[in-house]
Amino acid sequence: MSKEYKYIGKGVPRIDADLKVTGQATYVGDMSFPGMLHAKMLISPHAHAKIKKIDTSKAKALDGVAAALTGEDLDYQVGLYMVDKTILAREKVRYHGEPVAAVAAETLEIAEKAVKLIEVEYEELKPLLDVEEAFNEKANLIHPNLGSYSHVQTAFFPKPGTNICHHSKIRRGDIDKGFQEADVIVEREYNNPSVQHVPMETHGAIVQWGIGDRVTIWTSAQSPFTVRNLFCHTFKLSHHQVRVIVPYVGGGFGGKAGIHLEPLVGCLSRATGGRPVKLIATRKEEYNTLPCRCGLKYKIKTGLMKDGKIVAQKLTLLWSAGAYADYAVNVTRASGYSAGGPYFYPNISTDSYTVYTNMVFGTAYRGFGHVELFWGLERHMDYCARELGIDPYEFRMKNLLKPGDITPTGEKLKDDSGDIRKCLNAAAKEIGWDGVKSEQQRIKEMQSGKVRGKGFAVLHKAPAMPTNTSSSCVIKMNENGSVILNISATDYGNGTYTPMAQIIAEEMDIPLDKIHVAYETDTDRDPYDWQTVASRFAPMGGRAVINACNDLKRKMSEVAAKVFECSPDDFIFQDEKIIHKSDPQKFIYYDKLATGYVYPNGNAIGGPLIGVGVYMAEGLTHLDKETGQGLPAFNWTYGAHAIEVEVDVETGEFTILKIASALDVGKVLNYESLKGQVIGGIIQGLGTAICERYVYDNKGRLLNNSFTDNKIPTAKDIPLEIVPIFIETPHDEGAYGARGAAEHPMISVAPAIGNALRDALGIELTEMPIRAEDVWKALKEKELVFEPATV
Amino acid sequence: MLNHFTYFKPQTESELLEKVKSYGDDTKILAGGTDLLIYMKQGITAPKVLIDVKGISEYSKIVTASDGSISIGASVTCNEVIENECINKHFPVLVEAAKTLGSYQLRNRATVIGNICNASPAADMAGPLLVLGALVIIGNDSGGREILLKDFFIGFKKNILKVDEFVKAIKVPAYFRDAKSGYLKSSRIKGHDLGICNVAMCRVNGTLKVAVGSCAVTPVLLPDFESDRAGTKFVIEAAMNNINPISDIRSSKEYRKHMVKVFIKRLLEKGNSH
Repeated sequence: MSKEYKYIGKGVPRIDADLKVTGQATYVGDMSFPGMLHAKMLISPHAHAKIKKIDTSKAKALDGVAAALTGEDLDYQVGLYMVDKTILAREKVRYHGEPVAAVAAETLEIAEKAVKLIEVEYEELKPLLDVEEAFNEKANLIHPNLGSYSHVQTAFFPKPGTNICHHSKIRRGDIDKGFQEADVIVEREYNNPSVQHVPMETHGAIVQWGIGDRVTIWTSAQSPFTVRNLFCHTFKLSHHQVRVIVPYVGGGFGGKAGIHLEPLVGCLSRATGGRPVKLIATRKEEYNTLPCRCGLKYKIKTGLMKDGKIVAQKLTLLWSAGAYADYAVNVTRASGYSAGGPYFYPNISTDSYTVYTNMVFGTAYRGFGHVELFWGLERHMDYCARELGIDPYEFRMKNLLKPGDITPTGEKLKDDSGDIRKCLNAAAKEIGWDGVKSEQQRIKEMQSGKVRGKGFAVLHKAPAMPTNTSSSCVIKMNENGSVILNISATDYGNGTYTPMAQIIAEEMDIPLDKIHVAYETDTDRDPYDWQTVASRFAPMGGRAVINACNDLKRKMSEVAAKVFECSPDDFIFQDEKIIHKSDPQKFIYYDKLATGYVYPNGNAIGGPLIGVGVYMAEGLTHLDKETGQGLPAFNWTYGAHAIEVEVDVETGEFTILKIASALDVGKVLNYESLKGQVIGGIIQGLGTAICERYVYDNKGRLLNNSFTDNKIPTAKDIPLEIVPIFIETPHDEGAYGARGAAEHPMISVAPAIGNALRDALGIELTEMPIRAEDVWKALKEKELVFEPATV
Repeated sequence: MLNHFTYFKPQTESELLEKVKSYGDDTKILAGGTDLLIYMKQGITAPKVLIDVKGISEYSKIVTASDGSISIGASVTCNEVIENECINKHFPVLVEAAKTLGSYQLRNRATVIGNICNASPAADMAGPLLVLGALVIIGNDSGGREILLKDFFIGFKKNILKVDEFVKAIKVPAYFRDAKSGYLKSSRIKGHDLGICNVAMCRVNGTLKVAVGSCAVTPVLLPDFESDRAGTKFVIEAAMNNINPISDIRSSKEYRKHMVKVFIKRLLEKGNSH
């Protein structure tokens, strides 16, 4: 029986929408400070080369140049989990686009002119552009010093003397025995290229390295406290010396988690004696210099019983990190422990590797490895079903996880873990799934030139987060009974703040228009939060806000109890009043308590009302290095996508007629926001599925570092019909039972399309993206293609 | 970032002529700027002088002459073509093609003449104008000249204009008014993309004209076909003999060729069903 809420679950409009649509919201790019300088980077034209000589003298001599730095000037190591990067390249460059020098000047134009005057002599080295080649133990080393890099030792396991910077293992059951028992063994390889996040606002930062090493950073970032922490580690500063301010952010999608331009801009500011320095990445730099999503090549081998049960699964994932490990090692880890998907395996073995290559390095990207993983996994499950001659829906239903099942890391699922079956059922029903198309039917339909197909794919993901992930917040009540919430969440388009306001309104019974969530995040002003990533903020940050409301109510009750000479437990909170439960005539308006209660005679008690709330995930463990056993997940969000597609058999062009997305979100906090996430996620998933990819030449130069040839979907590419479906199996820990659902709408869109195309045409696609040309080629291989010249 | 340049916005054609003559080599003509400004930002070109033709009022017009021909001025945008009643009614292939050029926002700036002058093999407006027998009206110091659009393109992003010349307008002869025509384009995404290839076709008084884009260094106009000989196979063979597509980041040459074949077939079918 679910509780009736006044605010929770309602489609409350974004509380900051007016500022954004009127242009009054301020982004880093809008900001300017007295004496501010402009920075420009010089980037490497080579994918792998020794820096033999670098000369900045001509740049420094240019009028208006305040500082010019090279890697030689900056002996610092930076890194998120694996400290493998320098602020500017030192000794060698490892990818085309890597910054080798930077200039701060009075104007951006002078800075651009100055970087062109920097002379660099390179000695080209052979680049490693294929993940399998780089994985080979005999390959040249991109990081010969891998063994000496400091790293998070509880989670990451580099192999010095190779290009492997992390290896995650999952071992459960007896894999060999499983394959021996199997009636059928199915094995296939899958592939994903790197893609870009393409935030509307590129990366940008302004840094002032002030007197006494007091540093202020304004940055377009997802994670102010992570920027602060890593900045302090790099420069050996105390956390109280560094202040990070994140104003409005124009999109992140994971690309702005971690730390990126801030250390470089900080060094430029320091080199100019503390003038503020601004660096905004160009779109080309966003593609070429800032990180992308990792590439993935993987093999899935599955042992099946004739009755449709999976008995064994072996997965080998080779993640192409690019030049630096950044988030790639954690993507490897998270996708490693999730690699089976929401299925039950009596025997499973997974090896997930992070491999250095000479390409743009990868970072977090919406889905954190799961978009890439599920492409192959869910194409593979359809393949398995076909090999057994079982309907792919029935095959999945036979093997999907349920409460009581043990996951590959040894977690026993509970009733509150969510219901994957309901998700698949709802999505498949929405597209009217009635079984696979017969070859006869397919050939018949082909005569008409257009063939329709249906497909679906399931998904799951848990937040990839440290075991001590936490949120905290402060609610301050103002003189008139309105409140201000200070919380270090960032809103980079995800609508983070509105549900927080709804929670306060619900808990305190204060109207929404009397609640202000302090939008911009400031590490000097706001309490600690890990990061706004991993679809974890609403369920966890929301708990912190509930706790802060309870703290505030407790403090109000204590004062009211004195006033009415009763117990603090005797009150309810309604219509901005604290009211005695059994005597409603006894009440006090919130504003009369806000800054202390004043008796008629002038005596005052209480004082300003401040509620404090924290929430920390408990019970999570590190994973065993050899077996991967442990509890990594705060919660799992399950879901399924189902798609109907129509293909033009002459051209390979296809149109998505309908996509249904069913997610077990636990509890909808804001219906409109969630719907927005689903639609946005599906379209981003569609981009990955149909057109996005990094293309390199044989020297490792990125060929498509602009919108001209690195395409993302446009309004015209949106599916004709999108149907969001929300299943609500409450999660015990999340606020009001909610689970994260920000990344999930993007996961498994691609395999659902792949499966629908298989249904329509009988073609087998294993590489993303699926372009019209790829469909045409696959048809051609089947000799099904229409050749107009022959008619 | 853009280089420093001097900007002129002449209000008359004679003023434009004078500016073009006095600045010569260092000059670029600015119309919509949707190609030029990108080239400048990328450092591909760094003109010292930009001469904006948008101040000349007659250049912003689509004029229908008494004989039924139309003339599209140098600063007419693609959206103005799309919204023009006469073009919709009598030269609809121009509207079809213009709708596939860039995005709505870009088409508010991008001009038909600019698209032609940029001389990209993928130019969306090129094919339809080629099959409509368009004439390029060139302005210069010696009274100007007119040439057929098919002679205007001389290489990859190269046109025939001399240093002191500019395009005033493009004219579609009355002869092609109400001709059966069509345009098909293949691209990676449905919105805002350069074409993998495109085909424009027009039938007029027993003649079939076909143009192919993105399949050679310039847009290609095939030799005219006498309509009674123009079976699908015949036209496709002629096309294959006249184009030379490459494999690049957008497509393989095999797919380009295939799509040209499909488009020819479809446009012929469409033409035959009229």
